[in-house]
Amino acid sequence: MSLLTVSNLTTRFYTREGITTAVDKVSFTVKQGEILGIVGESGSGKSVCCYSLMGLIPSPPGKIESGSALFQGQDLLKLSERELRKIRGNSVAMIFQDPMTSLTPHMTIGEQLIEAYRVHNKSTSQQAKLRAIKVLQEVGITNIEQRMNAYPHEFSGGMRQRVMIAMALITEPKLLIADEPTTALDVTVQAQILQLIKNLQISHNLGVIFITHDLAVISQLADDIVVMKNGEVVEAATANALFRSPQHPYTQSLIAAIPDSAKPKNRHAIEVNAGDEIKANAAATPLVEVKGLSKSYSLTQNTWFFSKKREFKAVDNVSFDIFKGEILGLVGESGSGKSTLGRSVIRLLDADANVLRIDNTDLQSLGADDLRRARKNLQMIFQDPFASLNPRFTVFDTLAEPLLVHGIANKNNLLQKINELLDDVGLERKHIRKYPHEFSGGQRQRIAIARALAPQPKLIIADEPVSALDVTIQAQILELLLELTQKHGLTMLFISHDLSVVRYLCDRVMVMNKGQIVEQGETEALFSSPKNSYTQQLLSAIPTLKVSA
Amino acid sequence: MFFKSAISLQELNQYEQGRSLSEDAFNRLKKNKFALFGLIYLSVMIVLAVFAPLLAPYAYDAQDLSLGATPPSLAHWMGTDIFGRDQLTRILHGSRVSLMVGFVATAVALLIGVLWGTIAGYSGGKTDAIMMRIVDVLYALPFTIFIILLTVVFGRSIFLLFLAIGAVEWLTMARIVRGQVMALRQQEFIEAAVSMGLSRWQIMSRHLIPNILGPIIVYTTLTIPSVILLESFLSFLGLGIQPPASSWGSLISYGVETIEEYPWLLIFPSLFLSVTLFALNFLGDGLRDAFDPRSSKD
Amino acid sequence: MLKYFFIRLLSAIPVLFLVILITFILVRLAPGGPFDQERAAPPAVLANLNKQYHLDDPVVVQFKDYLVNLLRGDFGPSFKYPTRTVTEIILTGLPPTLELGLYALLFAMFVGISTGVMAGLKPNSAQDYIPMTIAMIGICLPSFVLGPLLILGFGIGLEWFPVSGWGDSPGDKVLPAITLGAAYAAYIARLTRGGMLDVMSQDYIRTARAKGLSPARIVGLHALRGALAPVVAFAGPAAAGLLSGSFVVETIYQIPGLGRFYLQAAFNRDYTMILGTTIFFATLIILFNFISDVIQAWINPKLRQSLSK
Repeated sequence: MSLLTVSNLTTRFYTREGITTAVDKVSFTVKQGEILGIVGESGSGKSVCCYSLMGLIPSPPGKIESGSALFQGQDLLKLSERELRKIRGNSVAMIFQDPMTSLTPHMTIGEQLIEAYRVHNKSTSQQAKLRAIKVLQEVGITNIEQRMNAYPHEFSGGMRQRVMIAMALITEPKLLIADEPTTALDVTVQAQILQLIKNLQISHNLGVIFITHDLAVISQLADDIVVMKNGEVVEAATANALFRSPQHPYTQSLIAAIPDSAKPKNRHAIEVNAGDEIKANAAATPLVEVKGLSKSYSLTQNTWFFSKKREFKAVDNVSFDIFKGEILGLVGESGSGKSTLGRSVIRLLDADANVLRIDNTDLQSLGADDLRRARKNLQMIFQDPFASLNPRFTVFDTLAEPLLVHGIANKNNLLQKINELLDDVGLERKHIRKYPHEFSGGQRQRIAIARALAPQPKLIIADEPVSALDVTIQAQILELLLELTQKHGLTMLFISHDLSVVRYLCDRVMVMNKGQIVEQGETEALFSSPKNSYTQQLLSAIPTLKVSA
Repeated sequence: MFFKSAISLQELNQYEQGRSLSEDAFNRLKKNKFALFGLIYLSVMIVLAVFAPLLAPYAYDAQDLSLGATPPSLAHWMGTDIFGRDQLTRILHGSRVSLMVGFVATAVALLIGVLWGTIAGYSGGKTDAIMMRIVDVLYALPFTIFIILLTVVFGRSIFLLFLAIGAVEWLTMARIVRGQVMALRQQEFIEAAVSMGLSRWQIMSRHLIPNILGPIIVYTTLTIPSVILLESFLSFLGLGIQPPASSWGSLISYGVETIEEYPWLLIFPSLFLSVTLFALNFLGDGLRDAFDPRSSKD
Repeated sequence: MLKYFFIRLLSAIPVLFLVILITFILVRLAPGGPFDQERAAPPAVLANLNKQYHLDDPVVVQFKDYLVNLLRGDFGPSFKYPTRTVTEIILTGLPPTLELGLYALLFAMFVGISTGVMAGLKPNSAQDYIPMTIAMIGICLPSFVLGPLLILGFGIGLEWFPVSGWGDSPGDKVLPAITLGAAYAAYIARLTRGGMLDVMSQDYIRTARAKGLSPARIVGLHALRGALAPVVAFAGPAAAGLLSGSFVVETIYQIPGLGRFYLQAAFNRDYTMILGTTIFFATLIILFNFISDVIQAWINPKLRQSLSK
């Protein structure tokens, strides 16, 4: 039985810069008790289309041009704001991506839940409170009486998302719209929340629209899938059909872009001839030696006069080597200390270590000037390509700076060197005088990679370099990194929270939890038979593309 | 382009030029009619003030007691005061004082504030804590009252005004600059500059300061009117500029005394003061929207 | 929270001490003694006067004595009006000044917040542009321009309100309060608008809308508190500004308040009076800043929690 039938929905935004069609003649159906996945990359219009249904797009500039959305015999698009309000949060509820910002910070959880119930149901506050306790139980919150009086910031990300779900369920909705509900969460937490949503969907016989960019996630949940691109539906099918035989080229490219852990990594295959020799050499000569590295932060709480100090060990007595020519993966969830470790290795942060040697140089003994010179060999690629480039530097400036500072280029060959770098990272030469804001995310990351390559370094620390990018772009950048490390004989420490990316790219992997390295080993060995319980937990939580027979 | 001196421009000219952030900002500013009005008005006002002795129709202190206070006429566009002095002349000369105080005291505030804020923000840690605690303490002091006290103790001089007003206004500047520097320091491109092996000075001059220039310009534009206002306030109370010199504030204060008999003595200097404040505020707002398009939220 | 309250209160003491010290030193540095007159007094008389007011003691002793007296609420005698103590003068002038300030603040808050919310709800519409342009005019019309204009229009022209006096007739508090409060109303309106724009684009407002709440409830319960944070932060400086603004307004409308006494003291070089009133004003302003800080902490649960740890 169909719960919601959307046909020919078109939404446009009328801004000063011009008119954009965010949603273009989109049609789909949600059946009662089934999950519809809407999949697309950023800017595909997948969120706007659902917000349009609920009257939640900012208007102006947004305007729903045409279409209909039949829900329980009513056309949602024809309802007045007042009538729509009776449906929002009542028979249709929503949950959002970032549970951190999606709850009102100055109201307690209890107040927000009770409010959600009482807006749509005549009841005493006592009845509403009982109802709130019941749904909180259902989503797995413990110690409820006390938690009801707590503010959102006192909960962890996963707990907050549970609260959001409880708030959505409190009015017994028929349809739940979930907009990237697990994107901001760690992989283990994501697995729990996905399981929760699935369970609730079954027990409440909910219809669910699940919006996501992550095909692997949606493959585990959805009955039907709609793929969107540039505001249009490019393909709609049952989940099984879509993953088994994707029809549209874009869907195919999306599926191909998933760094599929089931596929054997192609890197070794490429260097089969030279591989053994490199490995033999590598085993003998570690480029980076780290022994007993710790980094603590003292958290100071400033009151006016007094300050209390607490020690927080971000990295706790860590030892490892990175061999020449290898890509070493460093995996962990947020707060595990992986970024701190990455920066400590090249002394962007000063840590305590018994041994910190790179290319036979004791990094800790270097004075400020020597360290600056040594940085020629130690480069970094950052996560956010929007923040890692100086907005006032052209591509030329960005690349000229390291080339000139380290004397790689001079007046005569500067332009030539820069052009070579651009060729290397696959950027067109004509862009040389443009500024970062004129590029897309993927292009910016290419510029950032070129900058890291410019001083001809020996070691590159890549801190989540693809996690801010769309899947198809992500695949291209990973490919590029692989190609460049081979071409220039680079050694790389690749930091990521994304296990499938690490499996795809890295020769060896270290798993980090609470400041410690809990396990390290050859990639395939570690992934196929993890020894540590945390690693096992982490691996089992990875959403993999599920294609049933 | 920072490193264009490193190669000949001809080589680069074959490539298409990008739009820099400042160009974008300027283009947005050009579209803002209010801000543009502010800019034009201010330029005219500054020219008038600088060349006041040449432009003013009468001598600055020329009295014509037989004439007395007359309403605006062809000979005296803005009327005369009770001594028969030409009001337009007095206002033009007054604008020299008001604008000069505005610009000089703001420059004082700018100098101290930017240095203080940059050092505190970039050093961080204890240095930052101590420097900002000092700002906090000074903030809590009732400065307007102190300035009045100072003028009582040291007599009324324009130099003291500069110093006193500058000393008040630098505090906010320091806070803003520090905030900007702190926010920038967390940006990955500063970290990238460190990992590139740049020196502290190279990072400050190439990466940090160019990126906080926008907010500094904006806040400077918004500081000037508040300084002009403070000077007028003091002059109005009789604690600022002393006769026979005049500023807009002291002219307004004259005007208030004879408001019923000779309202034009109040209205014209008030008009100059208010429109100037208007222009500066519009320009400041416009610059803010131009440099940070998100702040306008549209 | 209580601890924060206490610590914050304690931290005001060194600031206050600094104020007293600076003021004391400045007044001592002032050229010319308090008893300098056009006709020089005979040295014997001067010495006698100096002795009477303990001006012949070492400065440190004078400062200590002054501090001790301050703690008892005694600001010493006025040099110009030997029959009255500074404390008496302050107590006479304080009620009109506080009353004026209070009315102005209420006016500013009410007008500022309501127009700010209105403008912030519909940005870039007539509902936004018109009040915000008026607010800009309000900021650019200083009280010493607005006051006379109001007198000219509503006092002399329309004769709706009396143009001077305080407490003599029912309407004579209207123009002074508006004159003093207008600029602050305008500023608060701008702050509130900015705060509203900020908050209304937050994710939790989208959640509130998705819950089906009415616009009134969303603004009142979910948005306003966050939107007013910058206004509350401004309340401390605003109170300080209102106090010094009262100098002008009291002069224009001839209100017998503390501001006028202060200005008179400044012109008369009545040092004990200047010293006393400066310290008194400073204490008030520090107090207002303290209250504004406490309210800020109270409306932000995150801040409240981190402070109470």
